Amino acid sequence: MAFLLRRTASVRPLFSRFQIPRGYASAAVGLDLIAIAPDVALQKARSWDDGVSSKFATTPIKDIFKDRKVVIFGLPGAYTGVCTAQHVPSYKNIVDKFKAKGIDSVICVAVNDPYVLNGWAEKLKAKDDIEFYSDFNGSFHEKLDLVVDLSAALLGPRSHRWSAYVVDGKIQVLNVEKSPSEFEVSGGDVILGQI
Amino acid sequence: MAPIAVGDVIPDGTLAYFDTEDQLQSVSIHSLIAGKKAVLFAVPGAFTPTCSLKHVPGFVEKSPELKSKGVQEVICISVNDPFVMKAWAKTFPENEHVKFLADGSGVYTKALGLELDLSEKGLGIRSKRFALLVDDLKVTVANIEAGGEFTVSSAEDILKAL
Repeated sequence: MAFLLRRTASVRPLFSRFQIPRGYASAAVGLDLIAIAPDVALQKARSWDDGVSSKFATTPIKDIFKDRKVVIFGLPGAYTGVCTAQHVPSYKNIVDKFKAKGIDSVICVAVNDPYVLNGWAEKLKAKDDIEFYSDFNGSFHEKLDLVVDLSAALLGPRSHRWSAYVVDGKIQVLNVEKSPSEFEVSGGDVILGQI
Repeated sequence: MAPIAVGDVIPDGTLAYFDTEDQLQSVSIHSLIAGKKAVLFAVPGAFTPTCSLKHVPGFVEKSPELKSKGVQEVICISVNDPFVMKAWAKTFPENEHVKFLADGSGVYTKALGLELDLSEKGLGIRSKRFALLVDDLKVTVANIEAGGEFTVSSAEDILKAL
């Protein structure tokens, strides 16, 4: 169905794909994540016991992105269809190719709690390849203006489906699906070709 | 909202679940348990240890006994979305009777007055751990933990009250 929409990728600039009409778009190429979200922290996906022993420690954005080359993708929800069947596998299956291009980490982030995310990552056997981080209070996605209200699907406020290549905290490439149920531009294979 | 107590009529609310054909369904609590004896128990979070290793298994194991004592519905509620509840329910393959219902936005938990703020643990607003015995919509037993502990809300405690 999505093929009926504009798909002249070879002609149009890459980042025009994410021009979803919004009040304002914070997330854009060139944006410095560490500068715009200095107080934002994520929680690493982990078991409850690990949470207890780490005193529920949070990881500031700076620690994830500063001086590092990161490929990061966000998705609406653990245990949901496209996220499980297509989005995560598209990164897991080619992690070696990212490493070969000098990428320090491939990161998956979602507005789920760290324990649900951990359970899901383990089920997908993806924890060795991808680092899963919980945007437990949605603050990261709020700063990027990538929040979408999926209350109609009984999910509440969640993340759009998106991917980005970030170097030392600055967005180099950004892909955002026009709708969270689509999977056209945010897969691993697409961003691999954009790095 | 004041916490639900013995003698109260349980409020109505809409919860969600995936049926056996993987279709998303919503159900009103009243329509599910009116005119029946029902046990409603809640956990702070799917995929967390006490919930997964102690609270739910207790009810899974004791639900045949609860049924033999006239309980027609055993319902587990959590402030999680229905996708997560479905995946979590699958981790209890021996379960026959417990229904896992999603209070995704915590609306029903708030109506019961039983919210628990677990934001610093990365969970946000969740439900206290509790178990209620409800007879034709009237609460006859209300075992509510102060937070996530597991001292009064087990299946055994409900069985003792029957």
